[in-house]
Amino acid sequence: MPNKNGSVYGLTILSPIIEDEKATPSHDLQIRNYLSKLSTREDSPFALAPGTHLARLVVMDDVIYVGMPACEEHLKSKYLIFESNLDGDLDGYLNGLAASIPEHLDAIWQHCVGYPGAGSRRAFVDYMKACQIETTFFFAAVNDKSVTETLRALQTQTAVTDFIARHQGADASTLQRDFIAFLGYLKSLPLPKAGSMGPHRPIETGGRNE
Amino acid sequence: MSKLNETDIQGFVLRGYNLPVARYLFLHFEGAKHARSLIARLLGHVTTGQRWDGAKPQSTMNIAFSQRGLERLELPDATLLTFPVEFQQGMKHRAGILGDDGLNAPERWDEVWRAERVHAWIGVNGLNAEAVEARCAEVLQAMSETGGAILLGSQDAAAEMVNGRPTTSEHFGYTDGFGNPDYLGVERSSQPGQGKLLPDGTWAPLATGELLLGYADEAGELPVAPVPHLLASNGTFMVYRKLHQNLATFRAYLDKQAALYPGGKEKLAAKFIGRWRDGTPLELSPDGPNPSIAQDSLRSTNFTYSADADGARCPIGAHLRRVHPRDSFGFNGRLINRRRITRRGLPYGRFAAEGEPVSDSEERGVIFMALNASLSRQFEFVQQQWIQYGNDARLGNDKDMLIGSHGGRGRFMVQGDATTTNPPFMCGNLPDFVELRGGEYFFLPSITALGMIAMGLVDPR
Amino acid sequence: MSNINGKVYAMNAITPMKPWKTWILRAAFFALGHIKPLQKDLINLSFIEFARWVIVPRDGFPSLGNGQVKEDLQYDYLLFFSNFNGTWNQYIDAFSAVLSGGLNLVWRWSEKFPGSVPVTLFKEYIARVQFDTDYYYTAYPQATANDVKSAHIVQASVESLAAIAENCTPEQFAEAYLKFVLQVQCHLGETGNAPVAG
Repeated sequence: MPNKNGSVYGLTILSPIIEDEKATPSHDLQIRNYLSKLSTREDSPFALAPGTHLARLVVMDDVIYVGMPACEEHLKSKYLIFESNLDGDLDGYLNGLAASIPEHLDAIWQHCVGYPGAGSRRAFVDYMKACQIETTFFFAAVNDKSVTETLRALQTQTAVTDFIARHQGADASTLQRDFIAFLGYLKSLPLPKAGSMGPHRPIETGGRNE
Repeated sequence: MSKLNETDIQGFVLRGYNLPVARYLFLHFEGAKHARSLIARLLGHVTTGQRWDGAKPQSTMNIAFSQRGLERLELPDATLLTFPVEFQQGMKHRAGILGDDGLNAPERWDEVWRAERVHAWIGVNGLNAEAVEARCAEVLQAMSETGGAILLGSQDAAAEMVNGRPTTSEHFGYTDGFGNPDYLGVERSSQPGQGKLLPDGTWAPLATGELLLGYADEAGELPVAPVPHLLASNGTFMVYRKLHQNLATFRAYLDKQAALYPGGKEKLAAKFIGRWRDGTPLELSPDGPNPSIAQDSLRSTNFTYSADADGARCPIGAHLRRVHPRDSFGFNGRLINRRRITRRGLPYGRFAAEGEPVSDSEERGVIFMALNASLSRQFEFVQQQWIQYGNDARLGNDKDMLIGSHGGRGRFMVQGDATTTNPPFMCGNLPDFVELRGGEYFFLPSITALGMIAMGLVDPR
Repeated sequence: MSNINGKVYAMNAITPMKPWKTWILRAAFFALGHIKPLQKDLINLSFIEFARWVIVPRDGFPSLGNGQVKEDLQYDYLLFFSNFNGTWNQYIDAFSAVLSGGLNLVWRWSEKFPGSVPVTLFKEYIARVQFDTDYYYTAYPQATANDVKSAHIVQASVESLAAIAENCTPEQFAEAYLKFVLQVQCHLGETGNAPVAG
């Protein structure tokens, strides 16, 4: 099933955007405006809703003319592309979106043709599926771990490195005792927030993020 | 491929010279006309790549220009715009990309580099200090007679002399001078390990175009180069970086860590770099230095890492392994063939014997110069992705142990095995052992191009 | 708007294909999906987190009525979405250097594709067919594919060690701990900011 790779699902949605000459700004620009102000970090709607590893939203204005001898042609509508790499099954994911972030979904997709609103889960899921394009080939570097497992593992990795550093040359009893305490400490840590850069560290790698 | 015309290529590009004393002059052009006549004066004296075959000259002289220098020489705008973006911007503006912040930030550079007024670099190498002085005096005389340039500053450098003979040591005590790539048509013979890996495990020279503009490169094309072709061909780009070494910090750190490391001090020092201090590669001799390997050019660079995927012999993050990963990334080493650089340069400052008290504030370090056809694809890439970062080596954000900017918080993992003298060992709280004190990007033209520049005959596009 | 979030880059590309060629591409993807060794190189180029190709047949653009004008196209379209680590140049350089056969197999059916070698023309083509991302989210911006893989190895190793930690003598534990460190010693890189894109 090409949409799936292991336990990860590759969702590709193309939603036609409403063409309305009277809208000012046009619907595609309104989507762009909204997206430009949306947080991409731990306040992102996709951090608040469960199951998203990586996702993007792209307003596709048109197809691209690659030059002669190819023919020039144009799309009659613009499309909002939603590409998501998610855990589990599609229905669960879409229902999860509608349950956690309906205001954001509405704010974005209200500019698309035939969007029923996130209020009715059934209608929302049906609409998204109507806009779904089958992923022809889906590649995932890690295809068997959930978002939660990944965040937990990254947290463990950092903690383990610190533990190893602090216990260099420790005697066997101390090592065993401290490791057991360390396990307890790991369990007590809250799950890191999805979308965040991890705990702040003063190490700079080449400078600012872009 | 076509045979190289060695008389048209500056010797500094093709040869390591092996002359132990150097002075680098930093020139500023006041006006194009006089600057051009200076270049015309110097033209006949620029050392070419012609082989010496026995008769080594007392001294050599080579010249290179910054973007600002080419502008001041009034090359046409249309030509200047074809130079690579990074060269046009100059090294100071690339600080963000190169990770030249914190202790390496331009605000802390020597004045001569901070001001971005260096238009030309003149490199004089010589057999001894007198030869260098004499050659520099000729250059300075030409400068004053033509009024073509003023001297903004200079930098002396010299190999360490031991029993009257030059060594290839640098200040931390490592033997340097290995690892320059072989290019097709440049060397007479190829040294195994210096070029690119072939599928059968042997080594072949890299495409000439990785070093020289105007020749096919490893991507199977003529690399993007400035136009007109005649200006760029047989030329190359050079990065000049003055790297100050904090010798006191390094020695203290090594001593402190070595006390905890069961393999001993020399082994730990070897783990930092990937070679024992005499140059023996860890990969070929994990237990001790071996002069018969280190001094045999057929062996000293002839190794790969595939049998050491866990880094138990040579740590994954060791300096050598970072800057020349060989086959570490799979694909028979093909991913690294376009990331090689040719290094020139000498140490500067007074050498201090082991045990002699030293201070970080003493002027000592290495003048690092790298030659490559593309600054962004070669030097900048290695600096940004392999030295100040570690993802390709699967080391996350970890930086190069020796020259990364750690700020006191860096970490270097020495991978090990289950033997008592080679345990896994973590070095933490890494300080900055090396600090950048300035530098710039230069263009080293061919002899023909120098002539065109001197006569003001460079065409716009 | 940014194509970049933390250590990952979102590339979007669209290329036109004459419809009769689309079937060949579908066959190629089928082979790629079912013949695992063909994916080996893709896996070993370990800087892709997720990537997908989506063929949109010329009548495949969603048409939802409500006044939307139906598309009337000559070409099928191949959409490509990649989530990769590193810079744009690094990514394309690497693919061109070691996976040119695979790239050609996928894109030779697209109009005006110049081949993935040499790299300069290839980069020009990609620049022409690439379009920008408006909004990009990753649950772990501080981690690359390599970081994530390493993290999972560390997690698994900790769990293995945890299973025996309480039920052995200190000496036995010390031995197990050494084995544990040897398992994770290549996987302890820090995570954090990405280098500045050039």
